[in-house]
Amino acid sequence: MSGIDVRGLGKRFGDRVAVEGLTFHVRPGEVFGLLGPNGAGKTTTVRMLTGLLSPSEGEAVVWGHRADRDGEGLRKVVGLLTEQPGLYERLTARENLRFFMKLHELDEAKAWPRTQHYLERFGLGGREEEPVGGFSKGMRQKLAIVRTLVHDPRVIFLDEPTSGLDPESARTVRDAVAELASEGRTIVLCSHNLSEVERLCERVAVVKKRLLLMGPVRELRRSGQALDVRVDGEAERFRNVLAALPFAPNVLAEGMRLRVMLEDEAHAPDVLACLVGAGARVHSAVPAQRPLEEVYLDLLREEGA
Amino acid sequence: MAFRPRRALAVFWKDFLDLRKNVGLLVSMAVLPAVMVLVPIVVVWTYVNTPNSADLRSVAQFYDPTLPLGASAARFLIDKTLTDWFGLFLVMPVFVPILIASQSVAGEKERRTLEPLLASPVTAAELVAGKSLAALVPAVVITWVAFIVFCVGVDIVAWPLVQGPLMPNALWTFGVLVIAPLFAFFGNGVAVLISARVSEARMAQQISALVVLPLVGMVGGQVAGVLKAGLGFYALQGAVVLVLDAVLLVASIRLLDRERLISRWG
Ligand SMILES: Nc1ncnc2c1ncn2[C@@H]1O[C@H](COP(=O)(O)OP(=O)(O)OP(=O)(O)O)[C@@H](O)[C@H]1O
Ligand SMILES: [Mg+2]
Repeated sequence: MSGIDVRGLGKRFGDRVAVEGLTFHVRPGEVFGLLGPNGAGKTTTVRMLTGLLSPSEGEAVVWGHRADRDGEGLRKVVGLLTEQPGLYERLTARENLRFFMKLHELDEAKAWPRTQHYLERFGLGGREEEPVGGFSKGMRQKLAIVRTLVHDPRVIFLDEPTSGLDPESARTVRDAVAELASEGRTIVLCSHNLSEVERLCERVAVVKKRLLLMGPVRELRRSGQALDVRVDGEAERFRNVLAALPFAPNVLAEGMRLRVMLEDEAHAPDVLACLVGAGARVHSAVPAQRPLEEVYLDLLREEGA
Repeated sequence: MAFRPRRALAVFWKDFLDLRKNVGLLVSMAVLPAVMVLVPIVVVWTYVNTPNSADLRSVAQFYDPTLPLGASAARFLIDKTLTDWFGLFLVMPVFVPILIASQSVAGEKERRTLEPLLASPVTAAELVAGKSLAALVPAVVITWVAFIVFCVGVDIVAWPLVQGPLMPNALWTFGVLVIAPLFAFFGNGVAVLISARVSEARMAQQISALVVLPLVGMVGGQVAGVLKAGLGFYALQGAVVLVLDAVLLVASIRLLDRERLISRWG
């Protein structure tokens, strides 16, 4: 009933396939990351999930509403932060927000205090009466986020919420997302910013037209085990020996340092034995967690190959 | 997909607010009514000030060779001007909504405000209703105000010759009260329809203007004396426009479908 259920979702624009065979489930109250490079179909997916585009195949049920059939009911309970803030420049911040309250047929007197809270939260308190045309990029983005929240949506789609924000504002936004999640809202966050997804999301789906990988962020990290080994002399000499091992698909050599990606950390002793066998003088071996970024880039590279 | 008047009114509220703050658009909207009102007043004033000129009589006789010798050529030409100008005056209620509606529909695409709007529960019918209202109300109000100024102005300058009020007469009153709103509806419908398909407000304005040109041409032809227009002609024209309005309305609602709007502009 609640949460988001996506089954075999796909979208074609003419001959171009933007998304295909996407299947995932987002639990109520979860922060779910949609991670993918430019053109991966994140925005297209979110548009299908908010009833703006109808899927070419498959179906999606969001908070009990079929996205392709019950768009109106769906849009009452979801909030969408679009890629572009899309604010009315001649109107003031307050007028922009009031417009969306009216569209949602809200009692403005009741909706204001909550909205005011978010305005203050984002440092926009006191700027309500200014035309948005005079706002900075970051202020616009924050106002757009507040606009997404005026109707107190249960499900929130955030399409690159921190793009164009300075580090401090990005942090404010991330804190706010965490806060929204703690209020029990279901959040889908689109991003190509890995550290952001890592910090905020419980689970993440890596997409590039198709679903490449999905799982808890912790598990994705585990698929990113590595061993950092320091040897005497050029590390490059041992790269091929190691790359021949079945459990070490990827080896980087840099100066005296070797970084060996492992499918399982249990193989670390085998790597060392192999190195010693090949005549290496090993100074140190430290287990390292590959940043999610490397895992992600590898994944995309494999996909591209 | 129930029609919720509150959401349509919200769209109207926002567009109207935006229009009030759009100085550039307001100025370009003010030019047309100013011309429409000032030109005939100046023409009538010229006739009134040279009632006995021989030129006037020959012009009048060109239009009506049977003009009796005792009749005032100036008075004849004033009446003719007022009748002819009526057709041109109707250009105003057609064009003002084109200016506004192009801005409000294609303008939303141009400024990327359409997607957040479409992500709200508003339906296509409510959008069309709200946006049409925001274009029609100013157009009709401007036309009526211009008409009042026009009547007062003509009566003031014509008084020395006519010794009584010339305006408003039956043709003009019928036209401005009944035909003008229908024309405004037509201009709006064309602009909304075209704005749904193009991505820039300026382009929407230009194409819409081209589309309504035949209407203006019909009116212009009448000025040139090709068509003998009278109350009946305008009533018929009104009926035709009414039917066109209904067709445009339905077509706009279908064209303002989310899928189409979102996937076409990219
Ligand atoms: N309206 C459209 N018409 C045609 N093709 C489209 C349309 N919208 C998206 N596409 C195509 O679909 C693919 C996915 O685009 P989408 O915007 O969903 O990617 P994205 O993951 O959001 O990328 P980004 O990170 O750059 O925002 C792209 O190849 C894009 O060109
Ligand atoms: Mg995108």
